[in-house]
Amino acid sequence: MANIAAQRIKREFKEVIKSEEVAKCAIKLELVDNNYTELRGEIAGPPETAYEGGNFVLEIKVPETYPFNPPKVRFITKIWHPNISSVTGAICLDILKDQWAAAMTLRTVLLSLQALLSAAEPDDPQDAVVARQYKDNLEMFKLTAKHWTNAYAGGPSINTECDDKIKRLVDMGIEEHQARVALSSYNWDLERATEQLFS
Amino acid sequence: MADSALADGNVHQRYCLQFYNNRSCPYAGNCPYNHKLRYEVEPVAFLKGADFFLGELPIPANQRPCHFHKIGQCLYQDKCRFLHDNDGSLRGYHSVEGTGPICAVLKSQPQESVAFSIVNLPSTSSQSNLDATCLTVEKECASSEACSVTSENNELRGEQGSEQNLEGEAGACASPPLVIVNNKNWVDAPEFVPRSKPKSYAQVVSPESLADKGDHRRLCPYTTKDGICVNVATCTNVHGDFCDMCERFTLHPYNEEERKRHKQECIKQHEKNMELSFAIQRSKEKSCGVCFEIIMEKATGEQRFGILPNCNHCFCLTCIRKWRQARQFENKIIRACPECRVTSDFVCPSMYWVDTKEDKEKLIEDYKKALSRKDCKYFKRGEGKCPFGNKCFYMHAAPDGSKIDVGPPPRQRRQRHADTDLDVLQVMLWDFLDEREFPWHSLADDLEDLVSFFTDSDESDWSDYELFVD
Repeated sequence: MANIAAQRIKREFKEVIKSEEVAKCAIKLELVDNNYTELRGEIAGPPETAYEGGNFVLEIKVPETYPFNPPKVRFITKIWHPNISSVTGAICLDILKDQWAAAMTLRTVLLSLQALLSAAEPDDPQDAVVARQYKDNLEMFKLTAKHWTNAYAGGPSINTECDDKIKRLVDMGIEEHQARVALSSYNWDLERATEQLFS
Repeated sequence: MADSALADGNVHQRYCLQFYNNRSCPYAGNCPYNHKLRYEVEPVAFLKGADFFLGELPIPANQRPCHFHKIGQCLYQDKCRFLHDNDGSLRGYHSVEGTGPICAVLKSQPQESVAFSIVNLPSTSSQSNLDATCLTVEKECASSEACSVTSENNELRGEQGSEQNLEGEAGACASPPLVIVNNKNWVDAPEFVPRSKPKSYAQVVSPESLADKGDHRRLCPYTTKDGICVNVATCTNVHGDFCDMCERFTLHPYNEEERKRHKQECIKQHEKNMELSFAIQRSKEKSCGVCFEIIMEKATGEQRFGILPNCNHCFCLTCIRKWRQARQFENKIIRACPECRVTSDFVCPSMYWVDTKEDKEKLIEDYKKALSRKDCKYFKRGEGKCPFGNKCFYMHAAPDGSKIDVGPPPRQRRQRHADTDLDVLQVMLWDFLDEREFPWHSLADDLEDLVSFFTDSDESDWSDYELFVD
């Protein structure tokens, strides 16, 4: 069975390389090992979203039963998104779980993830904190997501206010990522974040 | 027959008919003849007929003497494409024919020939015995010029050309008619055939209208099969005309009805062939939506399409079946097309891709028809219970063959799991057997689908089951 999985990934790999999305730098796929069981994907943040300009790296693990089972995909790049865990990068997307179909490919998965970035599903969250923020304070969510894109995915928009707050926590001896998570979780309320970090 | 009529020296140059026609020869390596297949030899040469077996260059038809004319039976008369020569090279032959009232055309049938010869040999006599007697006879009638001795006929044979060798020895005697059998070719010893065919009273009265045109005579099976009848002269069957469609000598030369029937058959066959080549053409490039491989290029046994009745996406049977057996997803997911998610209730196996609605309907209908002739492995001729009730595609019949309507499927659908596993195993084995039996439709069942549909314990309820109705 492993054979059919490897054969298919080989074909898919060629297909992705030739696809127009690669030409437009929207998605990217590369091999991690030579037996086609582990790959590295990359998707560009969709335009007109908080993720614009960022490049998000994904870890793709192909099970032996592929394509009868979906590939295991998670974000390596830290991302602020209701359906993606800000801690582990785990993705909540139906097609990667119970709605998988054997005719789907790595290309369609990557494109679906790109679509997920532009259309979050806060009612079916992976990260409850992010989802709550998305629902309660959309502006704050966008700001945070943009900041994360800049900090981890090479996004262009620099928010000096956020950077300052993080710097102050870092000065207090807090690790940068921890500080960012705390601030993001408390809507960039420095006091509450500090309180949470030192409690 | 032809072989034995030829001199031994030619043996190795000639082709073994057994091998040539049947691709196998019981003598295998020990066969003295040349082992070659028909396809290896020029097709034109083989159509030229018996000459080919002699390893000689084919003589054009119009230069070869007509065998039928020789015996005064050519039905083509002036239109015959073979040479009608009454003097020339055939003189020897005809002069013999004219010598006496009891002139005979001889055929290679040893027993009858012995009976015919004046020497009243017992037909069971061994060859040496026969030879001895022959010699005596030769001595006795040595002074009589009217007696022609077959062993001396070799010179005459040389004149007549190799063709006549095929017919066996042609010899005839004036009074007393006597045949001395050549000890080498005793099997080819002549048989008495009256020159003038027996006529019925009606034929004598009105020979024109009732002339036997051979309408009802059978086509020569040798010509029909290979285009070659080695006993052209003595063959009692008619030799068919060449049919362009099947490229064989299968057209009855006189029987119009027979001709028409054959042509229609050929056209039908041709249409079938065309359909098949179209099917192959449209299937050739199709790849499976799951494994992405081109289905016709897969390993033998996997080159089968799994046709979903409700959408037009292409999968190989193995992949779509495997997908529909996946236990990790809901029924709704696995029963849907992996590409478009349109639910189909079963998969129809097919050797070729169908793209038109009509073709597909026909395929599915054929499939169901084929399944309905097979006993349901759950029903077990009344011994078991089929969970699909009267919606089952398979036959529910009592041991005496009478169909039984078991009513709609029961609404209760939970089963003990141990049982289920056993059932699945049986179905798989059965599948395997089926595939061997029926290459085109491979009446492999869709029960796997049904089983997975059945045993999966999720929310989908029996209302889904209505989908089995057409």
